[in-house]
Amino acid sequence: MKVTFGTHTLEITPTGDSYVAALNDKTINVQIVRADSGRLDLLVDGKRVTAYVSSDLAKRWVTLDGQTMLLTKTSGAKPGVRHDYAGGLTAPMPGQVRSVSVSEGEVVKKGQTLLTMEAMKMEIRIQALKDGRVKTVHVKPGQSVEREQILMEMEDE
Amino acid sequence: MTITPLPFSKILIANRGEIAIRIMRACRELNIPSVAVYSEADANAQHVQCADEAVLIGPPAPKESYLNVDHLLDAARHSGADAIHPGYGFLSENASFASAVESAHLTFIGPSADSIRAMGDKAESKIRMKQAAVPTVPGFENLESEQEFKRAAGEIGYPVLVKAAAGGGGKGMRVVHAESELSEAIALARREALNSFGDERLLIEKYLVEAHHVEIQVFGDKHGNLVHLFERECSVQRRHQKIIEESPSPLLTPQVRARMGEAAVNAAKAVGYFNAGTVEFIFDPRADSFYFLEMNTRLQVEHPVTELVSGLDLVQWQIRVAAGERFPFEQSGLHQRGHAIECRVYAEDPASGFLPSTGKLLQFIEPRGPGIRVDSGFRAGDIVTHFYDPLLAKLIVYGETRASAIQRMKIALRDFIVHGVTTNLDYMQSVLAHEDFAAGRVSTNWVEDHVREWTPAVPTEEALIAAALADVAFAASKSQSSISTETDPFNPWKQSNNFRN
Repeated sequence: MKVTFGTHTLEITPTGDSYVAALNDKTINVQIVRADSGRLDLLVDGKRVTAYVSSDLAKRWVTLDGQTMLLTKTSGAKPGVRHDYAGGLTAPMPGQVRSVSVSEGEVVKKGQTLLTMEAMKMEIRIQALKDGRVKTVHVKPGQSVEREQILMEMEDE
Repeated sequence: MTITPLPFSKILIANRGEIAIRIMRACRELNIPSVAVYSEADANAQHVQCADEAVLIGPPAPKESYLNVDHLLDAARHSGADAIHPGYGFLSENASFASAVESAHLTFIGPSADSIRAMGDKAESKIRMKQAAVPTVPGFENLESEQEFKRAAGEIGYPVLVKAAAGGGGKGMRVVHAESELSEAIALARREALNSFGDERLLIEKYLVEAHHVEIQVFGDKHGNLVHLFERECSVQRRHQKIIEESPSPLLTPQVRARMGEAAVNAAKAVGYFNAGTVEFIFDPRADSFYFLEMNTRLQVEHPVTELVSGLDLVQWQIRVAAGERFPFEQSGLHQRGHAIECRVYAEDPASGFLPSTGKLLQFIEPRGPGIRVDSGFRAGDIVTHFYDPLLAKLIVYGETRASAIQRMKIALRDFIVHGVTTNLDYMQSVLAHEDFAAGRVSTNWVEDHVREWTPAVPTEEALIAAALADVAFAASKSQSSISTETDPFNPWKQSNNFRN
């Protein structure tokens, strides 16, 4: 699978009980030794590394060797799924629209909840990736949607 | 020393955050129940959880809660507290609050209202200090016309500082490098002084280039005993606010230390001081000379530095002397031992002018180890709001020597993990590692001059890998779900236990 943070794209492939990460024309072998409470003990090409990682929407806080970095995921990574596709916001999984919190033409802030979905008994909030304006709302509360179905389209303000 | 029961049955702490918790700890050690007060924004704050009981005192805005004298006194009455500790900031240096507490037949844990009042006015306190033979910055008070200011500035010699007589915190303060800038500076400082303090009186002083901020902790009881507990070097500042403090100062010779200590004791005695206080000096290392700046008539943020090198618990002693106990130490029996450094961990972004950062703390892991103390007001899951000071914690280390304390601090800063808000932790590591800090060459303008050279860490390959793997790793253990803020709608790992490419 591919993950992009800012301008960096990594490709990660599982191989047995470890992973191979491809980044900047390099391949790096990574093993997860232990993962709990936001702390990851890794073996990166045989070197022991402790990283603290927290998730906040598309943001990842990472502390390594006392340096804290804030990374932002710029797109979904599953092949064929781009939740920010062409300015549209798509359903991350099949489910039912529970509520629509905004209307067409409304100006929204990054991180603002635009609509909520229910899927697998979980509530999923679809939030604005950046500041902008709601161009079109394609769904109504109660409507069932398929994965990748476009829910809303956004435009720059 | 035997511990005699104190006359207080309950102490109300008119503050929040780390200092409230620090004071509650001292109360618990003295077997006195503590009462927290809190605003609506702080209902789930750590200081509320730490107290024996807690009273809501109003809406989030400080003016309507932590600064509301009537609400605080009501809270004391209802909870049956018989003493109030003001902490620092808020009402701690407000003479009318101290009087109101005493009028309500409660004990104010601090100096007398008269001492607070005498030191609160810059111009008046400077006159008193001159009378007490405490060195003051060459300058003039009570000037009216621009002509008088011009004559005074000429006599002192440029650069000069024009500042508000009633001021503090860098407001109403202007550096003037030449006579041509003087009239504009006076106008600006007057306006700021009037807006901030409701008092447009100004004074003019010599401006010291490359000055250091060195302060002396004083401590006295109500029986006339007053000693000093040595100095703290506090020159690492941004926007006139300290971020790193240490004791001893790497710059003071034993002779200067003794002279400064004596001057501080004289300053405090001149206003009949008791309880904990701090006399701030501007120190010119090139001339080994120092000048009285102001006196803070309260416990300081950086008091732990003094506690570590003096071996005294200042907050316990504040409570004891407020109860009328004698302070049993004489000057000759007090010693500075080893070296202590404090770093203030702020939720702020050094890369954008130290602007405060707010949000939910996704991780908050304090460092531990020999010689490490953390006074903090938060834990993971807490929300840092914009209503109050963005101080998250104070990290204090003790070492046998300055070099070992610096080394210990560098490592402790690395081990302090805060996610969810931007902090100055990384920036302070760079200050501790700087040759100027090692050499004691950091003057009060240093941060302003050097912060532009500093940039936050750029993502490393290992960081990118860790960030990418975290989703799958934590999805498997489910251990982080409780502190993640929201569901990530773009998380490719959520759907499957195993991923394909």
